[in-house]
Amino acid sequence: MGPARSSGVGSGNSGAYTTEIAESLRFEEEIHSIVHPSLDSSPAAGGSFTALLGLPANQAVELLHETGPSEAPSSAAAPSPTGELWRLRLGEHAAGPLHLPLGCSPTFPSNAALVERAARFSVFAAEDSPELSSGGGPSPRLKAEPPDSDSPPPLPIPTEKTQRPAKRKECEKSKAKGPAKKSKSAEENTVAAPKETAAENTDGEKLPYVHVRARRGQATDSHSLAERARREKINARMKLLQELVPGCSKITGTALVLDEIINHVQSLQRQVEFLSMRLAAVNPRIDFGGLDGFLLAECGPLATANGRGGVALDPALWSSHPVTANGARWLPQPQIRHVDVWPTQQSSTAWTRDGAAHPHALLNPGASLFGYDPASSVSLNSNQLKTEL
Amino acid sequence: MIPSPASSSSGSRKRRMKRGQKAQPATKWRTAAQERVYGRRLLEALRTTAALGPRAVKEAADSALALTARGRSRWSRAILLRTGRKIRRGRRRARAAEAAGGRVRGRLRVLRRLVPGCRNLSAGSLLEEAADYVAALEMQVKAMRALADALSAAPEAAAASEPGSRGGV
Repeated sequence: MGPARSSGVGSGNSGAYTTEIAESLRFEEEIHSIVHPSLDSSPAAGGSFTALLGLPANQAVELLHETGPSEAPSSAAAPSPTGELWRLRLGEHAAGPLHLPLGCSPTFPSNAALVERAARFSVFAAEDSPELSSGGGPSPRLKAEPPDSDSPPPLPIPTEKTQRPAKRKECEKSKAKGPAKKSKSAEENTVAAPKETAAENTDGEKLPYVHVRARRGQATDSHSLAERARREKINARMKLLQELVPGCSKITGTALVLDEIINHVQSLQRQVEFLSMRLAAVNPRIDFGGLDGFLLAECGPLATANGRGGVALDPALWSSHPVTANGARWLPQPQIRHVDVWPTQQSSTAWTRDGAAHPHALLNPGASLFGYDPASSVSLNSNQLKTEL
Repeated sequence: MIPSPASSSSGSRKRRMKRGQKAQPATKWRTAAQERVYGRRLLEALRTTAALGPRAVKEAADSALALTARGRSRWSRAILLRTGRKIRRGRRRARAAEAAGGRVRGRLRVLRRLVPGCRNLSAGSLLEEAADYVAALEMQVKAMRALADALSAAPEAAAASEPGSRGGV
């Protein structure tokens, strides 16, 4: 992002709003497409980059006069098409010596301060791309501050930077709403502009801060901005959940979606309970050694989602496994594992049948016995033992 | 990953920036690899579980699930820590009313109760944890169902085909 790019920023403060809007549209689009490549090049929020450049009101006016058709960064009422306006209240540089012909003219780099700003802007651009719509990470911006503290217009930049993340979020959000609100916000801006300019001029010595023109009908203080950001985050997470929970995409309204989510979670937890009951009932009977294949079978249908292999194994393994492999594998496992447990189980009275004790011992060495379905298991176990012995 | 105690938006975003984008829970929990990992852990847990009964099985399954989550999510850590605490402490408190505080707030409260370890979380983090939890639960149900089917089908099949398997051995 070169200096030339960053120069053509902000909407002009000329008399005709249409030209301003057109100019701002043109340049904002450029800049936003660079800084936020994933966002659409919708008519961008006007003054966000004027704030970046940090040019004072009078300088902006000068620049405007110098560069006819090209953009001039505005600090006074710059009606952004989206209704959001970034403005700087500058105390210090009322006497700023910036006389730059702005726009994409090659004379831009001649001004050291603007070059600096452009460099900073490119820093921001580079750092913005990873966090496009988040607007978080004030630290990169804060880090960029110290080097700039020596530059001629130092003060407005730091404050503006700290507030920028939140404001940039607003900027991006309002960009999306831009076209619809263009005309309305233009009128809004014109009304409020003179007031702001006057305020700016009078507070010559105060520390500058950034005015943010909020969307139409919304408050502008930092609290509501933060709240809006928080709400956006929550809405994004809700969308994720909606995709996760089946049947939630059609539902509109946070409360109902939450209802669905709660029902889904409860049903899943209930299913886990039922399945654990089943598993508990089945547990004592089965030797777990022969079940390694069930994972492969289970992964088959899952793998289709990934397009991974393992599907080929699925039907063959699943059908054959319980029949042959399990039966085959049951034999070696008991032999290997529970020679030690065997004597303890033999002593218990409940386990008169050796076969019955054996697989159970695998699961609960030394644990108490519990009831299970003796019919199928015992016959099986006794058969096993016959072959073992 | 070590979470910052205050999971502020900028903090979590910074973490994500440094590590690259975090995988979405839906895709993370639905891979075959995860299912395999969990399945193995589940088998292991069931094999070595000392206590019997459905509650113990469920706890073992939940612990296996939490292990598979590698402690990245709050609920998984809460589950892993649960075994120490919840055993002694019973569920003393009665269920509070769910509709108090407005619809969304009330439902958020219910969700907080459902997702383990999320009692004091903000709404945003709660929803994030809930998404991860739902995805993990779905995988758990799938795996447990497969295991239960395999276990209950195996002995019947083996018993039925005893002579065949004998021959095969």
